[in-house]
Amino acid sequence: MSEYIPLQAEIVDIDIESPNTYLISLKPLDNANFGYKPGQFVMVSVFGLGECPISITSSPTRKTLQLCIRRAGKITNGIMDCRVGDVLGIRGPYGNGFPLQSMKKNIMIAGGGSGFATLRSLVNYIVDRRSAFGEVAVAYGARTRQDLYFMQEYKSWQQAGIEVGITVDIGDESWKGNVGLVTALIDKFRLSAGSAAICGPPVMINAVAKKLMDKGFDHSDIYVSMERHMKCGVGKCEHCMIGPYHACQDGPVFSYDKVKSVL
Amino acid sequence: MKAFLPKDNLVPMLTRVGRYMEVVAPIEVEGVAVFASWSGQSLALKDNPLLPPLEFFLPQRETIFRYVQDSGRYSFEEAAGKTRLIFGIRPCDLRALAVLDSIFGSPPLDQIYFDKRRSTVLVALNCNEPGESCFCEHLGSGPKCSDSVDLQLTEIAGGYVIETGSPAGILILKEHPEIFLEASRSQLLEKDELMKQAKEVMKDRKARSLPEMKEAIEKADWNALGRVCLNCGSCTFVCPVCHCFTIQDLGVPDGERIRCRDTCLLSGFSRIAGGANPRANIGDRMKNWYLDKFEYIPQRTGLLGCVGCGRCSRVCLAEMDRWSLEVRR
Amino acid sequence: MEKVHTTCIYCGCGCGLFLHVEDGRVVGASPSPSHPMSLGRLCIKGWLVGEFVGHPDRLRHPLIRKGDRLSRASWVEALSTTVASLRAIVDKFGPDSLGILTSAKGTNEENYLLMKLARAGLKTNNVDHVARLCHAPTVAGLSYAFGSGAMTNPISSLAQATAILVVGSNTTEQHPLVASYILEARSKGAQLLVADPRKTQLADLADLRLAPRPGTDIAWINALLNVIIRENLIDQEFIDARTEGFDAVRLNVSGCTPEAAEKISGIPAQDLANAARVFGSAERGAVVYAMGITQHTTGTDNVQALANLVLATGNIGREGTGLYPLRGHQNVQGACDMGALPDLYCGYQKVTQARQKFEQAWGTKLPDKPGLTALEMLAAAEDGRLKGLFIVGENPMMSYPDSSRVKKALEALEFLAVCDIFPTETSELADVVLPGASFAEKDGTFTSTERRIQRIRRAVSAPGQARAEWEIISHILRRLDVPADYTSVAEIMEEIASLTPQYGGVHYNRLGTRGLQWPCPTPDHPGTGVLHAEKFSIGRARFRAVEHREPIEVADNEYPLILTTGRSLYHFHTGTMTRRTSLLERELPLPAVEINLEDAKSLGIRNSQPVIVETRRGSISLEAKVTEDVPKGIIFVPFHFCEAPANILTAQVLDPQSKIPEFKVSAARIRRA
Repeated sequence: MSEYIPLQAEIVDIDIESPNTYLISLKPLDNANFGYKPGQFVMVSVFGLGECPISITSSPTRKTLQLCIRRAGKITNGIMDCRVGDVLGIRGPYGNGFPLQSMKKNIMIAGGGSGFATLRSLVNYIVDRRSAFGEVAVAYGARTRQDLYFMQEYKSWQQAGIEVGITVDIGDESWKGNVGLVTALIDKFRLSAGSAAICGPPVMINAVAKKLMDKGFDHSDIYVSMERHMKCGVGKCEHCMIGPYHACQDGPVFSYDKVKSVL
Repeated sequence: MKAFLPKDNLVPMLTRVGRYMEVVAPIEVEGVAVFASWSGQSLALKDNPLLPPLEFFLPQRETIFRYVQDSGRYSFEEAAGKTRLIFGIRPCDLRALAVLDSIFGSPPLDQIYFDKRRSTVLVALNCNEPGESCFCEHLGSGPKCSDSVDLQLTEIAGGYVIETGSPAGILILKEHPEIFLEASRSQLLEKDELMKQAKEVMKDRKARSLPEMKEAIEKADWNALGRVCLNCGSCTFVCPVCHCFTIQDLGVPDGERIRCRDTCLLSGFSRIAGGANPRANIGDRMKNWYLDKFEYIPQRTGLLGCVGCGRCSRVCLAEMDRWSLEVRR
Repeated sequence: MEKVHTTCIYCGCGCGLFLHVEDGRVVGASPSPSHPMSLGRLCIKGWLVGEFVGHPDRLRHPLIRKGDRLSRASWVEALSTTVASLRAIVDKFGPDSLGILTSAKGTNEENYLLMKLARAGLKTNNVDHVARLCHAPTVAGLSYAFGSGAMTNPISSLAQATAILVVGSNTTEQHPLVASYILEARSKGAQLLVADPRKTQLADLADLRLAPRPGTDIAWINALLNVIIRENLIDQEFIDARTEGFDAVRLNVSGCTPEAAEKISGIPAQDLANAARVFGSAERGAVVYAMGITQHTTGTDNVQALANLVLATGNIGREGTGLYPLRGHQNVQGACDMGALPDLYCGYQKVTQARQKFEQAWGTKLPDKPGLTALEMLAAAEDGRLKGLFIVGENPMMSYPDSSRVKKALEALEFLAVCDIFPTETSELADVVLPGASFAEKDGTFTSTERRIQRIRRAVSAPGQARAEWEIISHILRRLDVPADYTSVAEIMEEIASLTPQYGGVHYNRLGTRGLQWPCPTPDHPGTGVLHAEKFSIGRARFRAVEHREPIEVADNEYPLILTTGRSLYHFHTGTMTRRTSLLERELPLPAVEINLEDAKSLGIRNSQPVIVETRRGSISLEAKVTEDVPKGIIFVPFHFCEAPANILTAQVLDPQSKIPEFKVSAARIRRA
């Protein structure tokens, strides 16, 4: 059976994270084991519409495989039209994931917008393996309060001894939290050096990387999860080329120095 | 093993092989040499066809599996393979396959490509008369095959010197002893001499050397080149190394998942859902194409991503010199 | 793997290509190096031409309307229903209450049979096709001026020009192979002058760019002629020996100074003077034009203005010179040649003059008065005079102006039959839908914009029960007692050749891969590259004085912008084929309205923002594309997208001479959604 034939997975739960984003829980059919690392992704199939890459948002330390789907095109719209019980195809896990072996003990996690879905996998992994890490901070910003994901989990992160900063670009009467950039959150953290994991729009990545380097992070210790158009997921179709690298195999996690020039 | 195939025995050889596998060869269709299924038509062996035999390993469109839905669950059916013999593949196109073997062979292996690769016998034809736009000599990919191939033929007076390069090749010679003769020493010398002359012809085309190409890439004004590009994609579709593809589904609830050839020169190729595009400008995309051939593929595979066939320059709709990478005006 | 040599289905360039066939399916395409014009090259649409052929949406069965649904029927039922309905209408209301819209995408043989069906079968001259929407002014205008409405030189001749004026043609996107020859001339030193309100890719590469207000072309073209005359750059010898009527034109343009033209068109007087000098002093000047010239209420006069320019400078009848109307569809030239026109039989023989010849050839009496043009047929349907319409390979719901009126017209008909390869917005309204064969599934000929008659060859079987239109129409002809026992398309061409002087020498065994350029009057004639080299068929070419007239709609307080419509490289017309081709649909998946940066700013419109565009006919919702490529006061919408059909906005206002609608100018307004 070729690499291109997907595993089938049943949708067992759908949580509404925001008006255009669902958190989907999947159970691979036939009791197939699906192991993965934080930062990896899968190619999701809606048969009849096609495939697209989606980061795995759950941590491998927990039971359920979860994907965070945001309406962006034909296939994500197709996934959003599915119901509990429907079957999707998944291929993978693909990608390198976060380099947990080489990352330092202190970890700064910074996410902007829907990019944070990728980072949640790492955050919950750290929560579950807390003693393996030192000082950990999470900075997360979205456009408005409605666009913030995983709100019910922030407390569990804080309870695990992680500094958590949440911000929005545009506040409203009901929002009592920070309004402003993710970089402003970073200033407030105790955490001063270590490794970092960033995911979000290029402008945000550059701003955060600069802030962190000013604080003493080395650019080779700053890891970015890069978003690219992908089709095969296995380094052959060439859609996700970043210079000589493939985001699907050499990435999607790259150290900042490697991808600085294309951000 | 070496042997001699008299000219009159070429068609009988293909006929015999054709009894147990499909034979693909350069044939004349309405006066044009094209690779197609051979069933006795006249062979067109003078020029290398415009489309390389790559399409027999990575077709422009192919079904990678059919999906059938039953009570919400799917079953999948993969396409069956075909055994083939491809006659008349040139050294440049053979080198291109070596590049693709490396790319499609890196884990996880692309089984769809290798199923075809493993079930195809290749009989190469070396080039005595390089075409006008050929520069394989400068890139080490011709005019004689240096990659291993089941059989390679070089035309000399009266027929072809045959050299084997694999057990399958040896088997063909052994199974049809009545078709092949022993190659004499003078015939082998004639072959060497002809190959040497073909090399010399190309050596004189200085303007296509590898260092000069790399310099051209470095100095090129990609914005100016982008301004004149007519977005036809032809260069990527005729290149024997180009292998970009996309995957699409056709049919609900049952249908086919299809792999089809793509081109990195279209803006939609790199565009991310949501609209951002890391290579929004055609000039950037052209630069990426050249860098991929001359820098990235060598980094990944150890082989050049260009084999000097010159097809891109023949099909380009725009007024640009594809060696000096300059706009003509 | 089999490779079948054929001709591209998309534009009028007529490139030669191979369809790749494996296991009975089209799996790819590649260019043909032996084609005399395309020379082994193709544009992106040509490379991907095979993909739509096997698409699951293909119409596979005849359909008959039962209530408000279209249900599957047999061919017997469908054809009987069609014939009976057409007969009933003739009996009750007379033959002129029927009309046929033929397909510019169909073959010559099919167009010939359809026009024969209208005339010999149904006894009406109400037959027309989409040339009415694109080059009707060329057919009318150049027939008058030169005696022939076709491109005067082969496309390759452009490479020899020393100055090329391109007017109202987005050539790199609509006719890429023509653009490659224009740019070849340019790289050899030719001066490129491009007139277009928008900054297209070709305009960007021009030596001189003229950006006229839409609908003001006569003013500035007359100004070019004014300068050329004043500076004595006319070819007096040519004018004296081969033309008539110059004095009237000379008098007429004497007042059309560059300054006066600037006031009307907005093009700086100095630029007009420069352009005039460049073109006037060129040794070999060529003029290329398309919809920007024709799709106006002054379309025929616009064409004449260009004809005047070319005649006055003696740029006719030699390599590197000439007038190049770029025909859109791959066989709209052929459809015209075949007489799918209300006033002309095949070969441009007038219905009012050649009736006897055709009555003799077809053995039956024929109607004597010219019929209705396409838009006139729709107007007649709207007010109940036209009762039945047979539409083949056309999608008027998307391609004709003022879609709400088109819908009213089609719904008012008693009987509508549609033959097509895909379901369309038009077939949705039909009483009978007949599934046709695509270009890959039948034999026949197309005639490209350079008058090249070339073969298409069957590569695969049509899906389901779909059939070649020539077979369908032959059947209907026989049911109407018109002999049509053709066993092959070659036989139909024999009949065409016997009745069409320009095709007199065309036989299938002569076509090969190079085709034949008409006129090809006899079996040993090699075909004709350059027209009018020695003489014009009318003796002397005709000048005619033409004057600027404002478009029907102008910008005003209520609708302060001018909407102009057009196309993209990646899609073809109403998108039935290209939107089912993955790489093309991915390239341009959504409609967008181009709006000038400053206009957008003053209206508070950002790039990609949803907006609503409105005209007096209707409104559409789409994204804004804020750009500097379109001038202030003008917005541009392509007509490919059913989600935002541009023709909801355009009007059925026609050029009185050629009856072409004014697609290029509508008064419009735009606001944030």
